[in-house]
Amino acid sequence: MRLLKRMPELQILLVCTIGCYLFLETFVASNQLNDFFGLTGVDLIFISFFMSFVVAIISVVAGVGGGVIYTPIMLAFTSVDTLIIRSTGLVVAMFSGLVASGPFMRKGLADIKLVFLGALPILLGGFLGSLAAITLFDYFGATGDALVRLTLGFILGLIAITFIVGGASTEYPEHSEKSRLATRLKLRHMYWEETLKRPVRYDVHNVKTAVFLLLCVGFTGGFFGLGGGWAVVPVLNLVMSVPLKVSAATSGVLLAMGNSAAIWPYINAGALIGVVAAPWMLGQIIGGIVGAHALAGLKAALVRKVLIVLLFLTSLKLCARGIEGIFNVNIPIL
Amino acid sequence: MIKRRPPVPISGVVYGEIIYWCTCLSALLVVGGTIRSFLETDTVMPVGYLINSVFEGRSVEEIWATSALKSPPDALTYLSLLHNGEALTVAGIAFGVLSVAPAVFFSAAYLWRSKNEFLAVTAMVSGAFAIVTPFVYFLF
Repeated sequence: MRLLKRMPELQILLVCTIGCYLFLETFVASNQLNDFFGLTGVDLIFISFFMSFVVAIISVVAGVGGGVIYTPIMLAFTSVDTLIIRSTGLVVAMFSGLVASGPFMRKGLADIKLVFLGALPILLGGFLGSLAAITLFDYFGATGDALVRLTLGFILGLIAITFIVGGASTEYPEHSEKSRLATRLKLRHMYWEETLKRPVRYDVHNVKTAVFLLLCVGFTGGFFGLGGGWAVVPVLNLVMSVPLKVSAATSGVLLAMGNSAAIWPYINAGALIGVVAAPWMLGQIIGGIVGAHALAGLKAALVRKVLIVLLFLTSLKLCARGIEGIFNVNIPIL
Repeated sequence: MIKRRPPVPISGVVYGEIIYWCTCLSALLVVGGTIRSFLETDTVMPVGYLINSVFEGRSVEEIWATSALKSPPDALTYLSLLHNGEALTVAGIAFGVLSVAPAVFFSAAYLWRSKNEFLAVTAMVSGAFAIVTPFVYFLF
């Protein structure tokens, strides 16, 4: 409630969105859909908005794109065309990060220098990955694709285990030596840690390795249509020694920027159905604002736990898709 | 130990504020587009038909082939149909996405002024990438 009082724009957005859906529910007749428990189109839109709101809060807190949660749910529980799911998934992955950029930057929680350092490798990697996907897919084959998904799933599981084993040391990583390249690029920063009531200073390390890894993340994201949300926080936190909350905030901003170029082919192919994507986008915006303010007040330990759960779930999903592709079986729960 | 809040980089605030307000504006456009699409009766993109088709699992080609448009709309089609609710909704989403470009350029200018030339240049290249990509798709 305090957040609502402090932010008139959030009030306006909430009133407009809820008002819009209430108006449509009350005054606009809509046919019931087949096989959807007697729900109408407007009902489905309202449910989508509410789900998107919840997904946005979780994804902003963990620093992963909402697509990691949205895409498996839609693929598992609906018969919607995958191209439409992927285009709406991009909207979901992007908008919570876009709107959270404001609160994150205002609070100094996201590091703009890291955003710009990582943006180019992710954009370039994503572009090269999608080009490679188009030209190499026939040679690569479905089995090769599945094998890579399985490998990525294992890597992700290992990253999640690293976060568990690393424990609290991953929340505020410390490094004895200073990186010369990071010093030359002025990659030093300090942010106000609300839960500790004191500023936390950090130095960035392993810049070259991290840039290369972000290029790889962009490439695999573009090649397999995975998005990069699963790997940016680990690269920032485990490789560059950036505190976990700053990694989560910076990752969200970075992903939003990195995905901004990927939406256009879908719009140009008519695959972005506005009326279906709209409630997801609105939920992401309102949930993204709430999530961004929640992250500042959350303990880093909680952020780490949310991230571990999401990493394990994504790992499970990737492994399942890999096994499905290799052994030609169907795993219905995922 | 220092207990004061550290200063926040102005380049970051500029980046965040531009994107934040553009995204909020795009949300209002999308709300307007949604209401309009449900209220309009004589349209080439009827919302009831679109929702039913999507949740019935029809493919993108099938959906548009049996609509009044006969083929999937591209970005230019949406621009020419901006009076239409569905097109307005897509335009609202596109506006939000495009907000990245000005945010990057203004932020890069502040980074340059604070003597972070290398990162300012990488920011400009990323911004150019974000701007050029939609035009590449529009034109080719």
